[in-house]
Amino acid sequence: MSRIPDTHAEAWALLPWLANGRIAPEDREWVEAHVQACAECRAELASQRLVASHVNRDESASPQPVASEEQRSFNKLWARIEASESASAPATGTTGVAVPVPRSSRTVRWLAAAVVVQAIGLGILGVTLGNQDTGANDVFETVSNPEARLNAPAVSIAFAPQTSMGTVNTLLTHQGLSIVGGPGSAGNYRAQLSPDAVASGATADSVAAVLSKDPNVTFAQPIAR
Amino acid sequence: MPLQSVENVNPRAIPPPHTDATERELLERIARAKDQAAFRTLYGNYYQRLSRLLARMSVRREDIEEVINDTFWVVWTKAGEFRGASQLSTWIIGIAYRRALNALRRAKLRPVADEPFDEDSISVASTEEEETNQQWLSQGLERLPVEQRMALELTYTLGHSCEEVAAILDCPVNTVKTRLFRARETLKQVLPQLAGMSGDPS
Repeated sequence: MSRIPDTHAEAWALLPWLANGRIAPEDREWVEAHVQACAECRAELASQRLVASHVNRDESASPQPVASEEQRSFNKLWARIEASESASAPATGTTGVAVPVPRSSRTVRWLAAAVVVQAIGLGILGVTLGNQDTGANDVFETVSNPEARLNAPAVSIAFAPQTSMGTVNTLLTHQGLSIVGGPGSAGNYRAQLSPDAVASGATADSVAAVLSKDPNVTFAQPIAR
Repeated sequence: MPLQSVENVNPRAIPPPHTDATERELLERIARAKDQAAFRTLYGNYYQRLSRLLARMSVRREDIEEVINDTFWVVWTKAGEFRGASQLSTWIIGIAYRRALNALRRAKLRPVADEPFDEDSISVASTEEEETNQQWLSQGLERLPVEQRMALELTYTLGHSCEEVAAILDCPVNTVKTRLFRARETLKQVLPQLAGMSGDPS
């Protein structure tokens, strides 16, 4: 650390990243020291934390894209890619002339298969949700990733009150977790492992064991499937 | 998976190794083998995040899908050209941001509201202070120019560092600080609770 620019204006400019926990390590010390000594910056820091929490509240209230929308959008993109690649590859017709292949039957078959897979997924989802006990009623779950939510290992996790949003994000993404429910009455969230994390050997037990040792985590337990 | 307290992690390394390394693997599979499954996974990782971000940029609902798909068209076709100088997430979100600006231009939308702030539109009759603040904030966010709004959203909603926001918005770090500074000042004018908490830096 070669520079300690303990000026009010510079500290003031960096307060949003002190609030979100992502301030650069070389700045953290002097900005925190300044904030401790400066009532104006302390008030501004509190104010920025309020903005952050409002923005995130607003975020969680906004409509969530549903899985079917995501799949439909992807299908459109994939059809476009296929059409483009078919058009750029010479067709081996009897005329010997390269012709662009319109929305090919391959695309149609792919789309049809996607619809079938989606229908099966929704069926399984219905059964799964139907089997949930009433304790799950206060849990909201995203529907953006149907593959992940059907059988993904999950943990129940709670954070220390002072934990910043950035720290929570870091903790979760480090372990390949996404929050899919909560907070429950005890302030705990349900977080699921991503397919990639599972593929890399992570389990609900291993992740809960790691998280429970973190000082920002007050509770972490695997959820029985 | 190694135990890492976040206090010991260099925040500039975020997104953390699992996410960034895993996504880079996906990108490599796309670049090398045109792997559809890898592409689908990467698409799913960003769809919701980008949908929300674009909605916050006032991109029209019917344009959001187009912007996301244009972004991933670039990811599909340019996967082999990603050199890894930045994080993959900043690359992808940066592409989406620039595509969204184009969409806004095409739609001739004015993300900056020039009209006077309509205080009457706030329901002060609400008994819930929180709800009222939320309405003030939404109004305030709508008043921000899109660049300021994005700096704020990327910082507070997606939790990016100042350097990452600069990479996504393709501007100097000091510009990010200035945009956020101005956004904070504007919000203070509309969110009474904030105005009461702090003043300007002297």
